[in-house]
Amino acid sequence: MRTVLLASLRTHTRRYGAALLAIVVGVVFIVVTAALSSAVRTGLTAGLSAPYDGADAVLDQPSTEDAVRLVASAPAADADAWLVGWTLQQVAHDGRVVRSSTDIGQVPDRPDHQWQELEEGRFPAAAGEALVDVNAAKVAKLEVGDTLRIGSGPAGLDVEVVGLADSPSAFSVASVYLLWSDLSRWADSLYVSSVAWAGPGGGGEAATAIREVVPAAEVLSVDRFVQRVQTEVNQGVDVVAIIVLVFAAIALLVAVLVINNTFTILFAQRSRDFALLRCVGATRRQVVRSVRAESLVLGVLASVIGVAGGLGLGHGLVALIRSQWPGARLGEASVSAGWILAATAVGLGVTMVAAWLPTRRVLAVSPLAALRPDDSTQVRTRTGRVRIALGAAMVLAGAAGLAVAIATAAPPALVAGGATAFVGVLLLGPVLVPAMIRSAGRVAARALGPAGRLAAGNAVRNPRRTAATAASLLIGVTLTTAVLTGMASSRTALSAEMDEQHPIDIALTGADTIPADAVERIAAVDGVDGTTTVIGASAEVSGLDPIPVIAAPGEAADGVVHSPLPAPGRRQVLLPWDVLGDGVEVGDMVTVTVGERRVRLRVAGGEGWGTAALVSNATLERLAPTARVQAVWVRAEEGADAEDLAGSLEAIAVPLDAGLENGLARRSYVDQQLDVLTGGVVGLLAISVVIALVGIANTLGLSVLERGREHALLRALGLTRRQLRRMLATEAVLLAGVATVVGTGLGTVFAWAGVQALVVPAIDGAGLVLPWAQLGLVVVAAAAAGLVAAVLPARRASRIAPAAGLAVE
Amino acid sequence: MTSLQTATPPQPSPPTPAASARGLLRTYGQGDTLVTALRGVDLDLPSGRFTAIMGPSGSGKSTLMHCLAGLDQPTEGSISVAGQSLEGMSDDALTRFRRDHVGFVFQAFNLLPMLTAEQNIWLPTELAGRPRPALQDRFDHVVETLGLTGRLTHRPSELSGGQQQRVAIARALLTGPAIVFADEPTGNLDSTSSAEVLSLLRGSVRELGQTVVMVTHELDAAAYADDVVVLADGLVTHHLAAPSRDALVAALAERAA
Repeated sequence: MRTVLLASLRTHTRRYGAALLAIVVGVVFIVVTAALSSAVRTGLTAGLSAPYDGADAVLDQPSTEDAVRLVASAPAADADAWLVGWTLQQVAHDGRVVRSSTDIGQVPDRPDHQWQELEEGRFPAAAGEALVDVNAAKVAKLEVGDTLRIGSGPAGLDVEVVGLADSPSAFSVASVYLLWSDLSRWADSLYVSSVAWAGPGGGGEAATAIREVVPAAEVLSVDRFVQRVQTEVNQGVDVVAIIVLVFAAIALLVAVLVINNTFTILFAQRSRDFALLRCVGATRRQVVRSVRAESLVLGVLASVIGVAGGLGLGHGLVALIRSQWPGARLGEASVSAGWILAATAVGLGVTMVAAWLPTRRVLAVSPLAALRPDDSTQVRTRTGRVRIALGAAMVLAGAAGLAVAIATAAPPALVAGGATAFVGVLLLGPVLVPAMIRSAGRVAARALGPAGRLAAGNAVRNPRRTAATAASLLIGVTLTTAVLTGMASSRTALSAEMDEQHPIDIALTGADTIPADAVERIAAVDGVDGTTTVIGASAEVSGLDPIPVIAAPGEAADGVVHSPLPAPGRRQVLLPWDVLGDGVEVGDMVTVTVGERRVRLRVAGGEGWGTAALVSNATLERLAPTARVQAVWVRAEEGADAEDLAGSLEAIAVPLDAGLENGLARRSYVDQQLDVLTGGVVGLLAISVVIALVGIANTLGLSVLERGREHALLRALGLTRRQLRRMLATEAVLLAGVATVVGTGLGTVFAWAGVQALVVPAIDGAGLVLPWAQLGLVVVAAAAAGLVAAVLPARRASRIAPAAGLAVE
Repeated sequence: MTSLQTATPPQPSPPTPAASARGLLRTYGQGDTLVTALRGVDLDLPSGRFTAIMGPSGSGKSTLMHCLAGLDQPTEGSISVAGQSLEGMSDDALTRFRRDHVGFVFQAFNLLPMLTAEQNIWLPTELAGRPRPALQDRFDHVVETLGLTGRLTHRPSELSGGQQQRVAIARALLTGPAIVFADEPTGNLDSTSSAEVLSLLRGSVRELGQTVVMVTHELDAAAYADDVVVLADGLVTHHLAAPSRDALVAALAERAA
């Protein structure tokens, strides 16, 4: 049998090409995931301990107040304490906003504790000097000697860039580093990851010294702290790697369908060979073993190519990212032997699983039956009926599962219900897909004439083959649609919530009255859609720094704000959350003073209108009868760039000593996060769609080989080359189109269930939102891809001269 | 033996032939694998007659038919069918030529499995984009003559071999082509069905004035023809008008000489 095996491998190698490609893509996916996750892991864990060099102890994740107290108390104890933490502030350079929320960190005062790796210039030595991250400087085109304005309005700080530095660790990197004397003005808004302490007494006394300031502190040695962070990083990377591998599993599932289909078709074409082998004395076992050995060879070959390709692609990708985007902080890629073994095993396993059923069918063929001409599978067989019944039952069970998920908001029920319903639809495929192709074929026949009608006929000739081919594409399209629709629905729901949190795109609040010509200039800025002026006055609120008091303009702001601002009561003052906390809390009574007038008001919290106290119109009337323009609220044009707009407005605001609150930037940040998430998921799903398209090309290519005589007959009867190509292209497009339409429909249903179960309970007023443009793009792209899949087989088929085709037996 | 025969042809031969070939050469492959299928064939096929092309396997009879029908391009030589020279025609032009002027009946794989008998018969008309109504009367007539009236909605897999060949003949006759080529039309049939199919082909010549050229290696089949062309080793050795069985056997046996 070995002669037979080798000979058949030689003969059929080309026909295995697509199956090989499908497995290779899946294995490459796994190996690249391993390479990237290893690079992320080494990148994240590199230099973890560097910021704590010279420290005796570390305080892990203290509250902001504890951290600030500890750092402030260090000089008194003859010790040094520095924190790894960030405040997010707007950074402007030459009146241009570099980034509206830039992470600002600390550079330690003492040179031996300055952990940043200086690349250019020097470390800051006095207040008003800043160190800038070298990658951030590259992106923002900053140089040593530049002057930056950090923050906005009266609280803004001008600093000079004296040095550029790299961070040894991804966990302590900031874009700009300031000395504590400068950074401490934003102490309230710091997020602190850890505080390092170096005292005169060394490790033993550090804990005692720290506990004197922060009694309940959990003090760790530097080693213990680094170990803890390392474990957290590893767990985090593992979670991400597992999520990515779920997509690899989906791609491999599609690959199983493609390979299974390939084997089924190839074995059907070769059933005469098998029967002949049986006739000349091969036993069933021998035939099956030889066929399985073929699939084993295919699996080994694909795994080897996949591992090699994956290693090359993974290392190349990591090297490319490291050289082009050093800010991504990837480390060296290294794929462990375990990963390689696992990827090989998966490639082999997938091939063997996919080949199992078709080889069993080979076993069932009797020598004589195989010598008779092959008749295509009919759906109305007993197994067909069982299949249909099972499929229908699963669809119903899945629907019930989804209903339970919606009622109880339970994600497991959602996944189980969705998966069950989906498998049910796949089982119904041999009935469902041909029926749909037949109706779509009528349209094709009207549009394309006989070529269209023949294509529709061809597409449904072998319902099971058609269904299996469509199924592979259906998986990718369904998931893509579900993700796109789910994301669009979440985005709409989130954007409604954002409207409430950030009702104003940009609020420009002055310390003093804003002159009329400035208001005009603001309205004329590029990207400004509308403005409204807000009256108010400079005021004092007992217990707080001076803060303007304003009253919301009411209906005049309708076209400018995204949602109405909270309305303060007559005896109420609304203060921004970030000025509350230090001495003044929600519920306190405060005295608000404007000039000689004063009122007592109860404090409530809120945000979204900038740094100002919001009171009712009546209260403002009592405080400042001649209130003038204190703030201008800006509505940005659709699609305006938040940074550009803030830059232009900042240029107007700085001379007026006015501050900006940029709601638009936060909104676009959330939008961007959703875009990245959607793009990432769709990109990962695209791999399974690519495999499915390889499958369509494959099915079509093998069918073309099968139908050589038939095509020759058609050509003899007057089908032109163009018509033949068009016929095959139409067949592929019909297949892809129907799979896409079913997939889009199913995906929308799943997305609806997902939104009902997961988004509606979390966000009020959420509902299904269909991203028509994106869904349209999916349908068009899938149909176009079907067309592309048909190019090669169609070209090959149309090149064969009719006489040559007729000679093929 | 000469091509002059005693038996009178049923109809007088018209002056212009339905198809003619001059100096036809067809080779396949190159160098060591060069195979010469036709080595200079000159042939005129009279219209309105039933001609059989005979010869042993490898004599080039299928190649000759493929060239005459515009399915294959000769390496050298000229062909004209229905007054049109096939020389230098593009693939599209050849396709249109076949569509308009030629009908085919093959040995097997004659019908498209996914189409009904009726759809198969209409297929060339449809491919040519011709309007159906003009041919409806002829369709009814042909279908009735071939006894297919009750079979039109059946698919090929539901028809017997003889019925399938009758559907193929109906398809070939529907458009009234200048010439019908039949390649071993009875190769897969039992003797009763064979006789039926051959009678129908002869009938189409007698009653519809159709020109039919049939490639066969069966003496019984050739006996239905008016003329017989005998091929050996890529050359025409005899062109006999209504030969007797003995004359035919003699002509075939002579090929080695």
